[in-house]
Amino acid sequence: MAFTRKNVWANGGDFNDPTILWYARGVAAMQGRALNDQSGWRFFGAIHGFNQTKWQRVGAWSPNDPMPSSSDRATFWAQCQHGSWYFLPWHRGYLIALEAMIRDAIANMPGAPTDWALPYWNYFNPNQNALPPAFASPNWPDGQGNNPLFVTRRYGPDGNGNVFVPMDQVNEDALGDPPFVGPGQGASPGFGGITTGFNHSGRTHGGIEMQPHDMVHVLVGWVDQANQKGLMTDPDTAGLDPIFYLHHGNIDRLWEVWKGTPTAQGDPVSDPNWTNGPPNTGGQAFVMPMPGGTSMTYTPGQMSSLSTLNYTYDNMSPPAAAPQAVARLQRLGVPAPAAVALARSTAMAGPANVELLGANTQSIRLSGTEARTSLALDAAVKNKVAASLQATRAAAAAPPTAPDRVFLNLENVRGLSDAVAFSVYINLPEGEDPARHPELKAGSIGLFGVSTASERDGQHAGDGITYVLEITPIVDALHLSGALDPGQLHVRLVPLKPPVPDSAQISIGRISVYRQGS
Amino acid sequence: MRTERRVDAWLVLLGAASLAAWSALAFGGGELTLPAVCSASPTGAVSFELALVLESPMKLAGDWSLMLAAMMLPVVVAPLAHVRQRSFAKRRPRAMLLFLAGYAAAWMTAGFGLQALALALRWAMPAPLVCLGTAAAVATAWQVSPCKQWCLNRCHRRPPLAAFGMTADRDAFDFGLTNGTACVGACWALMLLPLFAGDNHLPAMIAFTLFVFAERLEGPAALAWRWRGPGRALRIIVAHARMPLAARN
Repeated sequence: MAFTRKNVWANGGDFNDPTILWYARGVAAMQGRALNDQSGWRFFGAIHGFNQTKWQRVGAWSPNDPMPSSSDRATFWAQCQHGSWYFLPWHRGYLIALEAMIRDAIANMPGAPTDWALPYWNYFNPNQNALPPAFASPNWPDGQGNNPLFVTRRYGPDGNGNVFVPMDQVNEDALGDPPFVGPGQGASPGFGGITTGFNHSGRTHGGIEMQPHDMVHVLVGWVDQANQKGLMTDPDTAGLDPIFYLHHGNIDRLWEVWKGTPTAQGDPVSDPNWTNGPPNTGGQAFVMPMPGGTSMTYTPGQMSSLSTLNYTYDNMSPPAAAPQAVARLQRLGVPAPAAVALARSTAMAGPANVELLGANTQSIRLSGTEARTSLALDAAVKNKVAASLQATRAAAAAPPTAPDRVFLNLENVRGLSDAVAFSVYINLPEGEDPARHPELKAGSIGLFGVSTASERDGQHAGDGITYVLEITPIVDALHLSGALDPGQLHVRLVPLKPPVPDSAQISIGRISVYRQGS
Repeated sequence: MRTERRVDAWLVLLGAASLAAWSALAFGGGELTLPAVCSASPTGAVSFELALVLESPMKLAGDWSLMLAAMMLPVVVAPLAHVRQRSFAKRRPRAMLLFLAGYAAAWMTAGFGLQALALALRWAMPAPLVCLGTAAAVATAWQVSPCKQWCLNRCHRRPPLAAFGMTADRDAFDFGLTNGTACVGACWALMLLPLFAGDNHLPAMIAFTLFVFAERLEGPAALAWRWRGPGRALRIIVAHARMPLAARN
């Protein structure tokens, strides 16, 4: 049977849409099951992440809960793949398993559809950035005050329960990155993430993972006035919120959208370390519980083709605007067809040369209303970037290679709170309102997972997360206008909701800039 | 698409240095003998005086540094890659050498302590098998302890590094020193075993090197009492052994 995932807002986003109503009924059935039940809602939440202290704090765990066997916990729980090229395929399998459980949970209810599939929440659609109404009310057609899709610990960016995605904080720029796997090492993390082989650190998030994935998690969950974290804000609790699966439905849809862009190289299916998944490098296989006490073990390779899995989306059309890499070449005078071909060939030209271009001199704290730092640039490396730009402009009709790309790195971002979001600006003039200078905005970052990544004896060894923002368009513009300071870049971090409390202890180990060239 | 990998010159250089050290240990005579404590008097007692007469501190330090180069270079690949990645291209060799200097400083300091400990054990327990058994018991206890995990987690740390001037030099050296210190903490007990292996010193060193390298493939983890071993490495071997079989079927 083929399954089609549809836009949750297609019919108003409320319970008049049968897809949403049946989701709620399925969730309600799953929520009624015990923690140790593989088909239970909390069991599924724990597949994404489980932390007993955090779960107890949000009321999802009590000492009376029957815990699953140690074997079940080792097999199924806390599998989520972040900071990894497995991010997309692992979550695809997770959604498929949940859908199977929902269909099974509603199967015996009168009138239940057999082809039910998760809706997705595309916050990028005009006027669809608000939480769908069915998720925002404690009441639903089957009851008063017990809507299973309603979560009190979902606070929204104002911390008052009004949940929406501020559109100036999210973007789809990752769709314009041609390779699935970026070179990393300070340069592009690619659309899907960087290679995580024998030394899986998970310290750098891939393009689509950082934006919009991380940011939407943080903005939807956020914290309340008493600084209580929303479920979506923390990877260890995010899977408990029913909106999680609609958000990931959209991320999964964007994977398909990316494949339809003119510059996308496709999945790394010829690399056995990706196709066969973590077992190829000694890691744990992806396993999901399925209805009837069965399970599904899967590999990224098996998740690559959505149609083979009998799934589709009602809309997978790519954005109308040219991918970022193409638009950039066009700005430099390269004709459109040649720009597409060049963007593709450059991305496929083998290992890129990546080197440090500049850095600040000491770690900085983000607290209060903003943080500032300056990066000194190495003159010789900066000249390489400038030379590559000039070479492309000089041979714009048919340049042999694309010019260098430039990436800003926020290294070793650590802190105690995930509910922090901020925008990064380059060379913002003194006294200017950042909102009036979108052309100088490098990007926005939501610190999803930072607190866990900052634990000294956690999976990240306390190193935090490194965020990579492409600043090629800004550097191009500064260079072409002659406004690029020969020796420095000035970086300003502007919190979405100032002040950032000191108690969050947000620190950035180093801010650096890298060039990625041929 | 296929993700391409290339072998950098510095990796080749590192591999060559390690191989050279192994060759010197395996085939070297005269100046490049096995460390005295490991090879001297495998069947009987050894005294502090005799050990010090047979081997000057300089000779002990030389032998120890050779062992270090042979055994530890494989586990510094990952932190060295971090140093390289976070440094300007023109400063990479200097930063990597400073890291190695810091790392070696930690292990050389530890070397004196470990050799003194080995001598003391040998003096207190003249029977070689008793010495070896005691070292094995200590190594096993350390291996399963949360303290070992604490050290391993710090081996996996990749701190921010300054990019410019003396601060960059200091950061690279400090990173080497702290990484080396964590490595000493993780490996000191295992390192005792080759020191008591007598004539089997070289095979014991090879086994130690493989074990430590395999162990380092595991990621950071919560502190706990549990067995830690080369499980991931074994799973990798099994997975790659199965691949040709699967391709044939």
